[in-house]
Amino acid sequence: MMLQIDPKNLLIQKTLTETIFPEGDSGSPKSLDRIISDFDYTNYHISTLPDNKDLLLISLYLKCWTDLAQYGVEKYLSTKYAPFSEYLTVLTGNDIETSFNFSMVLNLENLNSLGSEEVKLAIIDELALLKRNAMASAFEKAFARYDELAATYADSNTYSEEVQAELQKEQVLVINYRESDESIYIKPSFDRVTVVFLTIFQDETDKIFGKVFLQEFVDARRRSVQTAPQVLYSHKDPPLDIQSVALSSNDENKGYITFVLFPRHLVKGDRRENCITHVQFFRNYFHYHIKCSKAYMHSRMRLRVKEYLKVLKRAQPEAVDEDGKAIDNRKTASGRRFEVGRV
Amino acid sequence: MSQSLKPYLTAVRASLTAAICLEDFSSQLVERHNIPEIEVDNGHNPELILNPMVIARNENEKILIEASVNSVRISIKIKQADEIEQILVHKFTRFLEARAENFFILRRVPLKGYDISFLVTNFHTEEMLKSKLVDFIIEFMEDVDKEISEMKLFLNARARVIAEAYLIPFD
Repeated sequence: MMLQIDPKNLLIQKTLTETIFPEGDSGSPKSLDRIISDFDYTNYHISTLPDNKDLLLISLYLKCWTDLAQYGVEKYLSTKYAPFSEYLTVLTGNDIETSFNFSMVLNLENLNSLGSEEVKLAIIDELALLKRNAMASAFEKAFARYDELAATYADSNTYSEEVQAELQKEQVLVINYRESDESIYIKPSFDRVTVVFLTIFQDETDKIFGKVFLQEFVDARRRSVQTAPQVLYSHKDPPLDIQSVALSSNDENKGYITFVLFPRHLVKGDRRENCITHVQFFRNYFHYHIKCSKAYMHSRMRLRVKEYLKVLKRAQPEAVDEDGKAIDNRKTASGRRFEVGRV
Repeated sequence: MSQSLKPYLTAVRASLTAAICLEDFSSQLVERHNIPEIEVDNGHNPELILNPMVIARNENEKILIEASVNSVRISIKIKQADEIEQILVHKFTRFLEARAENFFILRRVPLKGYDISFLVTNFHTEEMLKSKLVDFIIEFMEDVDKEISEMKLFLNARARVIAEAYLIPFD
C-alpha cells in the first residue's frame, strides 16, 4: 500500500536519469525541452540550451517564492547545491528564466567526464528534491531562530512574565503556499517550534473525513506514538500562537492543524532534515488520503448498487409460455436445449 | 440481526404486502391520463388515497407507507447517529438516486424528512412479482445500516493507520 508521498519529484528524477545515463550509445547528447507540473501550482522547466546541448537549464516556479525570498531561499539553495558546484551553476538576477523563480545550469559534459556514478545519482536525487529544498529554507530559518532562543534562554527563568511576553512577540514566518489563502505558519520558541497549517476543505465530505482523520492524529500520539510531535486541531478560528498574523474569519471550511515540534525532533543533522521533509508535505498527505477514502467509498457504493440490482432483478419473472411455464434455459440431461416455437 | 430489528422488519413486510394491492386506474381529473394517484394533490377526490402509515423502530429509524388506488409511496429514514453517518447516508442515497432508472421503483427525490423514497405503481406490479418487490425493500433496509456502519468503520481504521504512518517517521 502506498501510504507515504515521495518528496522527490518522480518526473524530474526520470528525466534527469534518462539524460545523464542515456540508454544505448547515442554519442551526441539529445536536445530536451520538458515542462513538469507538480502539486501546489509548482512548475519546473528542464531544457537544453539552444546553443549548447551539453548545458541543461533547470528552472523552478513556486507559488510562495516571494514569501520564501524573505526567508533567504536563494542563499539556502545556493549552499544546498554548493557541493555540486563543479557541474551545477546557480543563476542569479536577469539570467533566471522568465516566468520562473529559480534557475540552475547543469553541465552534462563535465558531469559525464569527471563525475563518478555516486555523484551523478546524488545530483539527480538533490534536483528531484528541488521543491522540498526551496520550502525547507523557511523551516531552516525558523529552526535556526529556535537554536538562538534556546541558547539565550538556557539559564533564565522562562516562566517569568517578561520572557513570556518576549516570546509571544516572536516573529511568525508565513508561507502562502497555495492559492485561495492556504498557508503555513511557523513560530519558533525557546523549547519548541510550532508549525500551523491552514487548509481549506473543498466540500462537506472533505471536512467531515478530515475531522475523522485529524481526531486520529490527535489520538495516535496518546495511544502509540508518544514521541511524535503534538498535534492540535482547530476549526474556523486560528490558534493563539498565530493570531497576530492570521485573521479570524467565518469561513466554515477552514481548518487549522498545529504541529508542535519538540527539541527531540529538532536535533541537528539527519533528524532535522527528515523532520522538515516530513512536516512540509503534511497537506499533500492529508488531502491525498481524504481523496483516497472518497474513491474507495465510491467503488464500494458501485458494488453495492450492483448487488441491489441483482436483488431487484429477481422480482422480474422469466418469460413464460401459454401454460405459465418458464421457457428460458431449460436443458436436457445431456445439455441440449429445448427448441421452443419450432414446428 | 439484532433483536429489535426483526420485529420491525416483520411489521414492515406485512404492511407492505398489504399496501401493494394496486389496480390500473385512469385519472379522474385529466382525460386520458393515468398517473400515480399518490403523487397528485387529491384534495377533491380523497377516496383514491388510503390512510398513510408510519412504522418506527425509534425516532431515527422509520418508514412511511402511503398507499393509493394505483400506487404506493414508501419513504425510509435511515439511522444516522453522528455527522459521519449523516454524510455517508447522504452520499449513498444520492448515489442510488442518480441511478434511479435502473431501479424502476426508486424515486429520484426523497420525501421531505426521509432519506430515500420508492414509488411502486400498478405497472410495476403487473411486470414484477409483488413478493419479490417486498423482498427487495426489506433487504435494502436490512443491508443499508450494515453498509453505512462498515463504511464508517473503514474510515476510522484508515484514519488510524495513516495518522500513525505519518507520525512515526518523525522519530
